[in-house]
Amino acid sequence: MEAYRQETILAAVALYMLFCVATGIWAMRRTSNSSDFFIAGRGLGPIVVSLALFSSTLSGFGFVGGPGLVYSIGGSSFWMITISTAGYALGFFMVAKRIRMIAGVRNCISLPDIVAVRYGSDIVRMLVAITIVLGVMGYLATQILAMAVVMQAILSGTTMFANIGLVACVAISSAVLIFYCVTGGIIASVYTDVVQGGIMMAAGILILLTAMSVFDGGMTEATSVILRDDSEAIMPWGSAGIMASLGWFFVFGLGVAGQPHLVTKMMMNRKISDNRHIFPMSVLGYVLAALLWVSIGVIMRATVIEGIIPPLTAPDDAASVFLSLFTSPLLAGVVFAGLFAAIMSTSDAFLNIGTAAIIHDIPKAIRGKAIAAELLWARIVTVLLAVVAALFALYSYYADATLVALLGAFGWATFAASLFPVVALGLNWKGATVPGAVAAIVSALLINFGVQLTGIALPYGISGGLLSFVVSLVLFLGVSSITSPPKLDHDIQRVMDI
Amino acid sequence: MGRQLIFVIFALCVAMSALLLLIIFAEPVAGAGGVAHPLFKGMSNGGDGAARLEHIGAYAYAFQALLLALIVALSTLGISERHRTPRLRAYMIATFVFSLFVLWRMVAGHLHFLATGETSFFMGFPTPTAWAVYGVWAGALPLMFIYVIGFRQFIYTEEDEAEYEQLLIEIQRENAEDER
Repeated sequence: MEAYRQETILAAVALYMLFCVATGIWAMRRTSNSSDFFIAGRGLGPIVVSLALFSSTLSGFGFVGGPGLVYSIGGSSFWMITISTAGYALGFFMVAKRIRMIAGVRNCISLPDIVAVRYGSDIVRMLVAITIVLGVMGYLATQILAMAVVMQAILSGTTMFANIGLVACVAISSAVLIFYCVTGGIIASVYTDVVQGGIMMAAGILILLTAMSVFDGGMTEATSVILRDDSEAIMPWGSAGIMASLGWFFVFGLGVAGQPHLVTKMMMNRKISDNRHIFPMSVLGYVLAALLWVSIGVIMRATVIEGIIPPLTAPDDAASVFLSLFTSPLLAGVVFAGLFAAIMSTSDAFLNIGTAAIIHDIPKAIRGKAIAAELLWARIVTVLLAVVAALFALYSYYADATLVALLGAFGWATFAASLFPVVALGLNWKGATVPGAVAAIVSALLINFGVQLTGIALPYGISGGLLSFVVSLVLFLGVSSITSPPKLDHDIQRVMDI
Repeated sequence: MGRQLIFVIFALCVAMSALLLLIIFAEPVAGAGGVAHPLFKGMSNGGDGAARLEHIGAYAYAFQALLLALIVALSTLGISERHRTPRLRAYMIATFVFSLFVLWRMVAGHLHFLATGETSFFMGFPTPTAWAVYGVWAGALPLMFIYVIGFRQFIYTEEDEAEYEQLLIEIQRENAEDER
């Protein structure tokens, strides 16, 4: 079977992509209006929501960048994973119940819809929608590029596609993504997420078992090797130090409740009482899938230090080199399918909320009402958004990466800093005001953009994301305390009392 | 308790900002955020762990303790004011104490290693790191138990559900009247 390694991997990925296309066709028949397209008609069961939730959390970054980070900075990156329990806890305690209740009461189909009725303000709706669109462009472009680069690496290893170009790979991967997102909307997205989540969990467990067999002494021997080379790398704060670790702890922990693609999924469950099952299942899924992140990273760092394998060209090669050296072709195929699953599950979630922001929220903020034929426009804009993001990805790859890098600043940390106070605190504190929300969003965007533009390096590894998050929290609470809260509508007031 | 809790959250955030400022303006230590590995490109080392904690260690530990308190306070804020009973408060305080215990074990283990160069291993990792990996992850498990087991007591009681269903019926009725 070893002789057919590339073909096996290719078959696994092709099978997965065919499944996505089939799901799109199936889901199209269940999508009859914009509510179905954006929030699955609020009719999903707990297993579907929990798998969709965790698989959207762990993007391609978790499968490629995660192991690379452990290889590069050791234990510092563990903090992004260990905070998952607390992160999901905050999401469920602060957001899950109220966002679903408000969605039910007001027929909201997007996060900007929710904040607009909570604050009674189209300014807040507009700011949240703009933040989402900017973030979606950066996220989508990098995810599409990652998908294409991985696909090119797989295809170029086969005889038939040895000379395939990156543009062709962008076209193929985007076409599959667009097809199932356009035909089946969020219904196709969440049902592909179910399989994607399953593949990711299986990949995490199998990779951990494989990683433990690389050294005779298992993970203990691997971490001992790292400890002898540089003890701090495998101590709690890792190579990047205590403040970088705590920054991730803060931003990834509190930040879950501020990620639009995640909290939007909390509006989709059929019953609010399902949350008690969705929460633990999401945490379990995330942890199982993240085993891959930790185990590959530790083993690759240890094997390079021991001279078992040559040093990696780049840290992000950690996963692919591990798969080619230490796993069977079948497992490599499963993991590569899992990688595509991780990338696609995040991409489809962003495509969905980006489209909602463009055709639903921005027109509503400007005109005060939704546009006609929302479902048709949703499908058209989904295609356009994906095509623009794909072109943007290619431009950044071949010509100038500055713009993508800048929009990359609108990643997890910016969403966390700008949206957590407005959404998570705003849904639980009647004293939250429009000026407070505006101050939080604007300060978060300015600090993240400013740090990115100026290239300022804060001491002790403090990240711009951490700084902006703390500042936006203080401003949100401070400004809200000294300004008059809006008069809440009766139904929103009652929802906030429950 | 509602107003008090939001003031506690505000105070925690302000205190964390102050600590962040103290760390930013503390005496810098070269390579505190990691230095390039002498042999392998793309790998970085932490170097002298004691040196990089010398000026900011206490502030950083305090920052983490406040963050743990903030997580518990925010979770409590997410519970309806009428369900914030003394029992719930006791559970939340116990959660905070448990996560502080994990922090203490991790920090103590790390400082012991920095002083002696010796460490034991637990489930694949040096013990201080095992506290960070397994302990910190498990530190928030009590929150999950409170949510799952106490769902019908604190999060969404039968009365809450009935009240929400009633609200939906009222809104449907109002909408139907408006359409007429």
